[in-house]
Amino acid sequence: MDRRTFLKTTAGAGAIVATGGLATPAISQNAAAKTLRFVPQANLANFDPIWTTQYVVRNASVLVWDTLYGFDEDLTPQRQMVESEENSSDGLTWTFRLRPGLKFHDGAPVLAKDVTASLARWCVRDSMGQMIKALQQELTAVDDRTVKWVLKKPFPKMLLALGKNSTPMAFIMPERIAKTDPFKQIDEYIGSGPMKFVRGDWVPGAKAAFEKFADYISRQEKASWLAGGKNMLVDRIEWVIMPDPATASAALQNGEVDWWENPITDLVPLLRKNRNISVDIADPLGNIGAFRMNHLHPPFNDVKVRRAVLMALDQEEYMRALVGDDTALWKTLPGYFTPGTPLYTEEGGEILKGKRDLAAAKRLLAESSYKGEPVTCVVAQDQPITKAQGDVTAELLKRLGMNVDFVATDWGTVGQRRALKSPPGQGGWGMFHTWHAGADCVNPAVYIAIRATGDGAWFGWPNVPAVETEVDAWFAAKNLDEEKAAIKRLNKAALDSVVYAPTGFFLGYQAWRKNVNGIVKGPIPFPWDVSKTA
Amino acid sequence: MLTYVARRTLATIPVMAVVALFVFSLLFIAPGDPAAVIAGDQATPADVERIRQSLGLDRPFLVQFSDWTWRLLHFDLGRSIFTNLPVTTMIAQRVEPTLSLMVVTLLLSIVVAVPIGVLAAWKVGTWIDRAIMGFAILGFSVPVFVVGYLLAFFFALQLEWLPVQGYTPIARGLWPWLENLILPAIALGCVYIALIARITRAAMLDVLQQDYIRTARAKGLAQRPILFVHALKNASVPIVTVIGIGIALLIGGAVVTESVFAIPGLGRLTLDAILRRDYPVIQGVVLLFSFVYVLVNLAIDLLYTLLDPRIRY
Amino acid sequence: MSPPPAIALPAESVAAAPTLPDLWPPVKPLRGFTGFLRRHPTVTIGAALLIVMVLIAVLAPYLGTVDPTTLNTSRRTREPSALYWFGTDMLGRDIYSRVVYGARVSLTVGFSVAILASIAGLAIGLVSGMVRWADGFIMRVMDGLMSIPPILLAIALMALTRGSVGNVVMAITIAEIPRVARLVRGVVLSLREQPYVDAAVAAGTRMPMIILRHILPNTLAPMTVQATYICASAMIVEAILSFIGAGVPPTVASWGNIMAEGRALWQVKPFIVFFPAVFLSITVLAVNLLGDGMRDALDPRLAKGL
Repeated sequence: MDRRTFLKTTAGAGAIVATGGLATPAISQNAAAKTLRFVPQANLANFDPIWTTQYVVRNASVLVWDTLYGFDEDLTPQRQMVESEENSSDGLTWTFRLRPGLKFHDGAPVLAKDVTASLARWCVRDSMGQMIKALQQELTAVDDRTVKWVLKKPFPKMLLALGKNSTPMAFIMPERIAKTDPFKQIDEYIGSGPMKFVRGDWVPGAKAAFEKFADYISRQEKASWLAGGKNMLVDRIEWVIMPDPATASAALQNGEVDWWENPITDLVPLLRKNRNISVDIADPLGNIGAFRMNHLHPPFNDVKVRRAVLMALDQEEYMRALVGDDTALWKTLPGYFTPGTPLYTEEGGEILKGKRDLAAAKRLLAESSYKGEPVTCVVAQDQPITKAQGDVTAELLKRLGMNVDFVATDWGTVGQRRALKSPPGQGGWGMFHTWHAGADCVNPAVYIAIRATGDGAWFGWPNVPAVETEVDAWFAAKNLDEEKAAIKRLNKAALDSVVYAPTGFFLGYQAWRKNVNGIVKGPIPFPWDVSKTA
Repeated sequence: MLTYVARRTLATIPVMAVVALFVFSLLFIAPGDPAAVIAGDQATPADVERIRQSLGLDRPFLVQFSDWTWRLLHFDLGRSIFTNLPVTTMIAQRVEPTLSLMVVTLLLSIVVAVPIGVLAAWKVGTWIDRAIMGFAILGFSVPVFVVGYLLAFFFALQLEWLPVQGYTPIARGLWPWLENLILPAIALGCVYIALIARITRAAMLDVLQQDYIRTARAKGLAQRPILFVHALKNASVPIVTVIGIGIALLIGGAVVTESVFAIPGLGRLTLDAILRRDYPVIQGVVLLFSFVYVLVNLAIDLLYTLLDPRIRY
Repeated sequence: MSPPPAIALPAESVAAAPTLPDLWPPVKPLRGFTGFLRRHPTVTIGAALLIVMVLIAVLAPYLGTVDPTTLNTSRRTREPSALYWFGTDMLGRDIYSRVVYGARVSLTVGFSVAILASIAGLAIGLVSGMVRWADGFIMRVMDGLMSIPPILLAIALMALTRGSVGNVVMAITIAEIPRVARLVRGVVLSLREQPYVDAAVAAGTRMPMIILRHILPNTLAPMTVQATYICASAMIVEAILSFIGAGVPPTVASWGNIMAEGRALWQVKPFIVFFPAVFLSITVLAVNLLGDGMRDALDPRLAKGL
């Protein structure tokens, strides 16, 4: 018994003595092995996966709430809560039958009315949900286990919408909770997922805890991402929030936590050196770095200025700043869709490829309407990804001979400022940085950032009818070849008019103690089938 | 005496009122929109506007302020915009770690600083005095996070004596609790130790020159009783004053220390809330810290009357 | 009792400090500037270190530096070497150049805050001390501000505005003003009771004249000392603000920013944090030493204190 084990054992004994067997969970060797301590990417500040689109909330929610369908690792929706479904021959009526015996954490059975209420709330906030809602004739509970969704026009991507892992996911909640205004937070966290949320242990900004739900009935199939059986091999999962990567790294090395979702690349060599730690890629779908320019106001309302910036942009420089020298972790991305997924294309990507021609970019800028006005570049400093990109962009614009007004601020302020449509001089903005999970960039249905509907589009408000035509073509596509053809044209149109500037594709790492087994790569840190030995 | 206590206590009310108004208006005019943050990166501008209205953030200043004050008087600090939890609950969850850190730091600082301050005064002008005062100045000059990282590097990662981060509730046992607090307390205590040591030395020098000490010395009383019984007791007023005022340093330092050592306390709550513009939480926590500061100093003022019989009101 | 660094005692206790009988043998009077320096070695050391830092700041472009903002992501996080004396940071910028240019920011913030807080505090303190009806109100506001821990107040103020050197200076200044104002008010109140001030008032001397002739000269000494400590504390607060991401813009090379950026890598690339930390500590130490020395020199009454 080494010193640390000894201390832990005495600590456990102390706890039992001190609390006299009260609510505080006693920590014994055995219990410690059944508790998985996980460092998530960010703080779990709120817990309503419909109300917010934050990835971290979604990741916690897949523990607590279940979905009708779930993406497997081929991004194909598979039945999860649903036992069988039927789509009428005209494509207008969908009938879903729930698996028998599903229960919520409060013991109540999962009924069809819970499903209809949950879907109704989700439809208001999700972009695909809104499309379905626009086509909806009626959404009803036929009996306790049967839900019927009647549409005015066929919606072939129905199962994709119900099973997708981009936010907000179509989680099923009890009816009374699902009746909450979609723009207000729920305040009861009862689901039918494999883990219960321990509300009393939730300290936002510090920790959250989940306990195994004994009555959860797993599917028989092997787990594959959100599809298949969700078998919990630990009794308790504790989320430990650590904003400082240095602290998280030290805690993992010291064995104070078991699994770290997003170690920064520069610390990976250090973690690799430790015999007790495994390091691997976190999500094969990776992330796409991005900055968006404001299409409404000078200088970026001129497509020539946007093209000039794209011509001068060196994705390699961004990726090195963001991820580092390990070229296995990133690649340049002359397009908008996630590399390695079926719709990936480089059509029209020449402008981002090859050696950067700064002189040509400068010539294009000179031809444009740019007259040396300052470019308001808003950069959040509290997110490593936006910060590193912002530093590179400032340098890029300087090289290009543009006048940069660098506004260093935090993610919250960026969130507010980017929503303003006023000119940059009057509180508005010229450009801001962000990133998109690769899983959200696999097709136009989940890809809000590629849409170019003008006023209704995402921040930057690109108005490119050519892009929207191809989005419609994709939704109408009958097979993969038609889909691919539409996306090729879409990619080219989007690059020609620079809907936004992609800065590259990058992968992130995850790291865990060697006594933890069963961790898989995926867009979400899936905790099922993960076990831990003492 | 009673009138003094009453008067002194009543005097804290306008101070708290100023703080309340200041804190509220400060954040009211702040840029940064919690609604946008809440909505997340994929939300549309229309979503953001809906959320802003549902949170009541679109109402005029006076309406929001009077509403806020009224509820404050009922010990209702509102709900966090981000977690939807009552602010009082969030504060209650975080009080123990911060209180523990402060108490341990305070005790450590006093236990270290007062004796070395006395020693420096006793050995005034010698190399011991210079060394102690040199370290005291150094204590002011090194930022708390640098000390924190140095301590964590040597004592946690290299020597593996203590944990790097975290907090264990005292209910899990005294040692596990203390184990997590030692390094942060030293880091946070540096400035405080320096401050108290300097003031102790100064106050002691002041007292040691008084006639009655000279008399005691002349009477041949042993040095130690003179130092610790007679002199220290009379030097205690400025020392206690500085300990009280230094609470502000401790609170400010806790924000940084808790973030370096991942202690889930009020300091981190404050920092997170400010960076995220969680208005109700910022207001609650800043108000609480000011309240604690005012109360501690009120207590100390009242304590003078006990410490120094010459002070009569 | 005189104000210790970073925070100040209530000014009343400054004013009420008893004149100490001198226990020590009188110092042999040394003449001239060198004599002054030899009598106050802390001033000498502090001033010398500070002058070196000021020189580094002023001469930054001529000290073998490159543009501190030029990034080159293909040469990131290099160890210190003959080419990169202090190594390079996560964006491949030269840390030596950044640290040298960073001296400008820290010193600018330190000096500006000291001067602005002194002027504003002096004005407020004078009004409060001289104008009886305003005193209560002003002091309640000052008490209120003082009861918010200065770092917390500065962070909260920075959350209001965008990061710039000017805004950092303003935020820290506002947090420091109440302490100066209280100090000045205390001195003014005690001076008002002095017979010669009474006499001046009785003789019909006008208020501005009284302030100019009698009050100001007497507040100058304690204020200068206080300003020095404010300068030191401001530099530390600036570093803390940058460290937690609420300080000067990251495009500006400041010591706090360099440390904030290197913070995540302190285990693998400790040099990124090490060099700015050493420079910051030395500079703050220098100013603190200077403050201690000046207090001894300017205020003989307190010479043997603290």
